[in-house]
Amino acid sequence: MTDNAELESFRRQWREEVARRTRPSRPEPAQPRPSRSSAGPSSHFPPARHEALDRKEEEEDEDEGGAPSANHGEIIHGVGHLSLGPSDEDAFHSRAPRNEPKSALEHFERAVEKEAEGNLGDSLQLYRKAYRLDSAVDKTYRDKHFAWAWKKPAQAPAPSAGASVTGQQPTDEPTILPTPELIASFAHLPISPAEPIIENTPPPPCPIANVPSEVLAEILSHVALIDPASFCRMALVCKRLAYHFAHEQRIWKRLCQGSEFGFKAMQYSFACDIHGLPEYTLGPRYTPFPQSMPVQVPEPLSSWGEVFQMFPRIRFTGIYISTVNYTRPGASSAYQNVSWNSPIHIVTYYRYLRFYPDGTVIYLLSTVEPLVVVPYISRENIKAARATSQKQHHRQAADANSASSDTVPPVAMGALKHAHRGRWRLAKPTPESDSSDEVPPSHPLSEYDSLPAKAQTTAAPDPRDLIIETEGVGPKYMYLLQLSLRSVSTSKPTNPNMTPSNPSKNTKLVWKGYWSYNKLTDDWAEFGLKNDRAFVFRRVRGWGMP
Amino acid sequence: MSEQTEQNAQVEQSAPQILTFCTNDNAILEVERDVAERSVLIRHLLEDLPASGQAIPLQMVNEAVMKKVIEWCRHHQKDPPSTGDDDDSRRKTTDIEEWDQKFMQVDQEMLFEIILAANFLDIKGLLDVGCKTVANMIKGKSPEEIRKTFNIQNDFTPEEEDQIRRENEWAEDR
Repeated sequence: MTDNAELESFRRQWREEVARRTRPSRPEPAQPRPSRSSAGPSSHFPPARHEALDRKEEEEDEDEGGAPSANHGEIIHGVGHLSLGPSDEDAFHSRAPRNEPKSALEHFERAVEKEAEGNLGDSLQLYRKAYRLDSAVDKTYRDKHFAWAWKKPAQAPAPSAGASVTGQQPTDEPTILPTPELIASFAHLPISPAEPIIENTPPPPCPIANVPSEVLAEILSHVALIDPASFCRMALVCKRLAYHFAHEQRIWKRLCQGSEFGFKAMQYSFACDIHGLPEYTLGPRYTPFPQSMPVQVPEPLSSWGEVFQMFPRIRFTGIYISTVNYTRPGASSAYQNVSWNSPIHIVTYYRYLRFYPDGTVIYLLSTVEPLVVVPYISRENIKAARATSQKQHHRQAADANSASSDTVPPVAMGALKHAHRGRWRLAKPTPESDSSDEVPPSHPLSEYDSLPAKAQTTAAPDPRDLIIETEGVGPKYMYLLQLSLRSVSTSKPTNPNMTPSNPSKNTKLVWKGYWSYNKLTDDWAEFGLKNDRAFVFRRVRGWGMP
Repeated sequence: MSEQTEQNAQVEQSAPQILTFCTNDNAILEVERDVAERSVLIRHLLEDLPASGQAIPLQMVNEAVMKKVIEWCRHHQKDPPSTGDDDDSRRKTTDIEEWDQKFMQVDQEMLFEIILAANFLDIKGLLDVGCKTVANMIKGKSPEEIRKTFNIQNDFTPEEEDQIRRENEWAEDR
């Protein structure tokens, strides 16, 4: 691990230079984002904005988003977001091999990616190569990716993630209609057929252009129920479809009410025990928008599209990952003041959460990287992993479960052995009116009587709160996680004429508390969350999609 | 096969009433009343009109399409009628049954003509299968791929496209 000291030195140099250049004499034009960086699989990983040493970025986890400076961590964050492409592919399935980097800049970019993954060994090698090829490569890199960061230092103090996406917009934009009006103006436009490929030949057939609105809506509704992201992409096909996307209330309402992606699948009370056995209740389960009665769009929101977007919602089509990097000083000589040669261990580990609509959840803490383990995180594989580990313990020759575990690589299987099963529920969005006798009507933790008072009196109930109970390290323990849904911090656009980007809502889970409960002694112990980071949602292909 | 002959025998037993239709390309098609009544439009038409034995004109449908529609109705003759407009059950199954998948393996013009005919004749089941087939052609594709698939022209200016993209970024669910 001596490599890390060198890596640290590179980082330090780089950070200093970045700090020095936040006020440059000559603004540089933003160059178009390289297509390669958005195609690379690794850029989809959770950005390692949590630089091990930059502890001060904690507040960034809050959705209010403090005042980020152009420090190293922020930049890495930006890199992570450069890849906001329209692709729905996830990063967890291998793709066509990438080209080897050639130029110094390419080496440097790859190194940044590797570092973001936490793959420090590879990262350092690439940094070294990059500097060998061009000693000023870091400057080239900054000019290419972060020109916006010092473009307008005076009026835009917080250009962050979202802005980088829009780095290539034309500067002399004509007057822009607000988006809702723009979309409304598309209302009666026809779908225009494509031009013929060769001039003066009949154009290719475009039968969809003849389809009346109600049928178009029907088709869109099916698309939406297969995959809302595909539905969204329809909006970018042509103006007419953009109009339907924004204005088909029926589809949005159906999405909200449904159990495919909507709120019917949200659990507001535990639906099973922590091992996944269903718990039955006599009364009907609470759902915010029941299909059996007329429902209203809840107050501050104005359309079902907004409800689907803003209302606290857990996603089942992917994984929530919390990447934790921290440093631990290794044994160093007491006589050496300068720490160049004292080893610093950089530890990276991941917490994974996969939710199921039936109220169960898988919670895995592992050092195994997402690419290796994520595609295999499923209840079936955990069952198989546990079965095989028991088999090894007891030296039994049972082979009933071996079939399904054949395809899972041993590394993933090893990690899955330590996965915890659990159950989840959201806090009820609105306190019930008839339960006025309870003082905090739906405080998320109110049912844990013996939980220390300190944790109980945190704040008013928050509808974004999520409670997870999982198995503990042994049968007598139960873990309690209190998380809260947050959105990726929105950024002010660098160009005042531009509409701000509108990133996904509720795709982040921030920590609110983490306890261990001893069932035998009725004791609670609190886990420190010193190094822990928010979970970020990533889609995984094939999960929850037909 | 035995099922089919049984079906035929049953049909013959009850001496089905034969209806004749005249498509917009002047073809005459004969269909059993039970089969034709999969279409809500035709069912209502027959309720209102006394059986006259005259050919029923179908202005919106041509012969080839009508034959496909009749084929579908005949296969799904025994299906329970759909209960309501917004019943959840038919929507929940996004997958298409195998026979219907084969049935829908036609070129895109025919596919949309079947959809239009199903819409006009008010045959919910067929409309559903058609729309699902189109939805399956759309899923997982990028906007550009969707345009290519359906020969749609991109009528956005680059600025508009960018604006819409940013507005809808949230739905990508990354």
